[in-house]
Amino acid sequence: MSPDPTRTRFLRHAQRWRGVVLMSVVVVATLWLAATNQLILYIHPRYVVFTVIMAVIALVFVGASAFLREPHDHDAPPTRRQNVLSAAALGLSAVIALGLVVVPPATLSSATLEQRAINDSGLNDTQGQSVAAVGSTTDAAFAKFTVLDWSSLLRQTSELSFFSGKPVDVVGFVSADPDDPDNMFFVSRFVITCCAVDAQPVGVPVYAPNWKDDFAVDQWVRVAGGFETNPSRSSTQSIALLPDSAKVVEQPGEPYLY
Amino acid sequence: MSSQLQDRRSRRSHEAGHGHPVDAAKIRRRQFVWLTVGIVGILGLFLLRAVTADQSALGLPDKAQDFLTLSISVIVESMPFVILGIVLSIAVQVWVPDTWIMRVLPRNPFLRRAAISFIGVFLPVCECGNVPLARGLMVKGFTVSESMTFLLAAPIINPITIITTHQAFGWDNGILVGRIVGGFVIANLIGWLFSRHAEQDSLLTPKFARECRVPDSHGHGVSRWQESVALFRRESSIILPALFIGAVAAGAIQSLVPRSVLVSLGSNPLWSILAMMALAFIISVCSNVDAFFILPFASTFMPGSIVSFLVFGPIIDIKMLALLRTTFTAKTLVQLTAVVALASALIGLIVNYVA
Repeated sequence: MSPDPTRTRFLRHAQRWRGVVLMSVVVVATLWLAATNQLILYIHPRYVVFTVIMAVIALVFVGASAFLREPHDHDAPPTRRQNVLSAAALGLSAVIALGLVVVPPATLSSATLEQRAINDSGLNDTQGQSVAAVGSTTDAAFAKFTVLDWSSLLRQTSELSFFSGKPVDVVGFVSADPDDPDNMFFVSRFVITCCAVDAQPVGVPVYAPNWKDDFAVDQWVRVAGGFETNPSRSSTQSIALLPDSAKVVEQPGEPYLY
Repeated sequence: MSSQLQDRRSRRSHEAGHGHPVDAAKIRRRQFVWLTVGIVGILGLFLLRAVTADQSALGLPDKAQDFLTLSISVIVESMPFVILGIVLSIAVQVWVPDTWIMRVLPRNPFLRRAAISFIGVFLPVCECGNVPLARGLMVKGFTVSESMTFLLAAPIINPITIITTHQAFGWDNGILVGRIVGGFVIANLIGWLFSRHAEQDSLLTPKFARECRVPDSHGHGVSRWQESVALFRRESSIILPALFIGAVAAGAIQSLVPRSVLVSLGSNPLWSILAMMALAFIISVCSNVDAFFILPFASTFMPGSIVSFLVFGPIIDIKMLALLRTTFTAKTLVQLTAVVALASALIGLIVNYVA
């Protein structure tokens, strides 16, 4: 079977230009994400400037590689096996590249949360708040505490006297408490230290019987109230937030906490 | 811009001397046609992205969406370092005089490799940017074992990595010192081991070995700018598909394997090290930023296992193996992985029992 000359030509062109095309896709997607302030869905804000600078440099090279083409082709003709392999690699890359420019960008969802235990003890206590440091905090400041702040305090102490009477007002997405999914949910957020790959879920347990009538999993909510002894029998959480108000809100511009 | 114009002018005269019938106006016209194609293509991509952004109908089911988000996160996080690596590789191959690097290095093989370990101080790239750079150095005349020493040492012994590791851990528990010393020792150990191999070329993929044998200035009168751009095109053709595949594998494993499986092993001196190395292998983040990645685990995991993570991760992980496979044979990579894994585990154990 002799190789079809048009196909060989096509493969050769694909092999030559795949890098430049993939690079263009990544760079365009990155710059667009940065311009619309969504790059933080994938990486920590401290890397945004560096990433944008390198993307612009790559864009200049992409333009130059269209302008200054080599007069000769130095690439060795690929073997048949290499052709099959590189076609497979190219197909897979093309799918992800398509995902980069076509699928709307999104935050991680509760599907990933289930893979990574919520409020895991592996989290560092330097993130969030410490019990000793919040002794003199005012009520107004407590009302500004995030899910991360409260979850770090809940991890350190389970004494109700510490929490009672303090106003809580938190925003996060809903994930069900696996031990009592009908009456308990977490107001959850992901905490990022480097990029979405290391996202750690944290959450504040909320006791609200039949919450599924009002909210769906992954919906963003704002819950206000106070901590009490958890009335739920089957949940492992000893303290839970009893909501005074709970309403659906828009996903915040910065869905992750740092 | 003026220098570019000059270069093109000199190229044309060269080409005329080379015996090609050259119609300058025609070449110029074709250049602008292709530039237009490039610009239109890029604008088209921007347009496509902006139009599809709000189409929630294009959204995926949760699991698939999270897999895509994680894979893209690995790509977006590594991309700037890959670009930096390619740019530095171009600088080394095209713009630095041939003999300069070779001349300043010591002749004694041990001292020479030790000196090569510190090149990363001047070329601060992480491991993924390092692959194109190491390829460039081999083309330039480094032996395979020398470039391996560079490949392994530079991601760890470089200012950005040292600063970020210091920011994350300070001088606590010997983590920073363990990382630097460990990286240096492993890089030199590997360099020494592979320098014992009789046929250095057989460690490389046949395709790359061929590329190394081609003398790099081929006298076609190609300008340096053209050569730089051609190198950019070639390196990105090789590195990017590998990066994409590595990112897909890393994303898929993360959305399938529960994190708690690894974390539950944290407090045992031996198991914690193996768990951390497994984590480093799976998550595939760059050495310049991995200290922040591992920081949240510092309170549950023993310091030795953190060191193992910080030494093993920059050298071997899923993404890195895909990238290294562009240059080295599978057999070489298996040997490399085995030696590096044993050595990092040993360094972790030492830190666990000493600190």
